[in-house]
Amino acid sequence: METVSERVEIEIAAAAPGVPLVRHALRGLLSGLDVPDDVVADIALAVTEACTNAVVHAYRDGQGTISVTATHVDGSLTVTVRDHGCGMSARVDTPGLGVGLPVIAAIASSVEIGTPDGGGTEICMRFALAGGAN
Amino acid sequence: MGNGIEVERVAGGIDVLTLRGEHDLSTATDVSRRIESALESASGLAIDLSETTFIDSAVLRVLITAQERAAERGAGFAIAVADSSGHGVHRLLALTGLDSKLATRPSREDAIAAAAAA
Repeated sequence: METVSERVEIEIAAAAPGVPLVRHALRGLLSGLDVPDDVVADIALAVTEACTNAVVHAYRDGQGTISVTATHVDGSLTVTVRDHGCGMSARVDTPGLGVGLPVIAAIASSVEIGTPDGGGTEICMRFALAGGAN
Repeated sequence: MGNGIEVERVAGGIDVLTLRGEHDLSTATDVSRRIESALESASGLAIDLSETTFIDSAVLRVLITAQERAAERGAGFAIAVADSSGHGVHRLLALTGLDSKLATRPSREDAIAAAAAA
C-alpha cells in the first residue's frame, strides 16, 4: 500500500515573482526528507522551468493563477503544475530559449502534459528522490 | 547568501557583472538591463557566476544574448563558471549543451582576462 507522507499545495499569481516562491516551497518540503542536494537542485530546476512556461505562455493578458501540487509517495515526488489559461501557444517574444521542456524531460523520471477538464495546461512530473533521477 | 546583481568597472575598462544567489524569470529583466548598460561603455564584459547558486533558462537566454551583443560591438566577453557555482548552474549548461557555446572560464580572474584579451 502506498504511503503519502508529505503533500504541499501552492497557488501563485501567474507572474515572475511567483516562480522562486514555488522553488523555495519545494525545497522546504524536501528538506525534511533524506534527499541528496544534487537531486533537490535538479527538481528545483525542472519545477522552475515548468512554472516559467506557465507564466510566459498561459495568460496573454497576464492575469491568472498557477496551481502547484507536490506529493511525496514512497521515495518519489510527483509535482503537478497547472494553469487555467490558453495552453502553451508559441510567442515570438518568449524570454526563454525553448529548452524548458527538454530540461524537464532530462531530469524527471516521467513527464505527462495534458489539458484537464476546464481548460489550461497541466504538467505532471515524477522524480525519484534517492539520486540518479534519470 | 543573498541574491544580487553588482557591476564593477576594473582595469582596462572591463565591467564585471556579478550574480549572487538565485536568478530566474523574476530577475532576468534586471540582469539584461544591467548588461545592456555595461555594454554601452565597457570595452569588455565578464559575467561572474562563481557565487551564483541557481539560474534557469530565462537567465541563460540573457547570457546568450549578452555574448551576441558583445560580439556585435566588438567588446570582449566571458562568463566565469567556477567549481563554487551552484549545481543548478552547471546542470543547466550541460543539459542544454550551451556550456560549449558560451565563452566560459573557470574563475572570475580568468573571465576578466579573457574579456580584456578580445
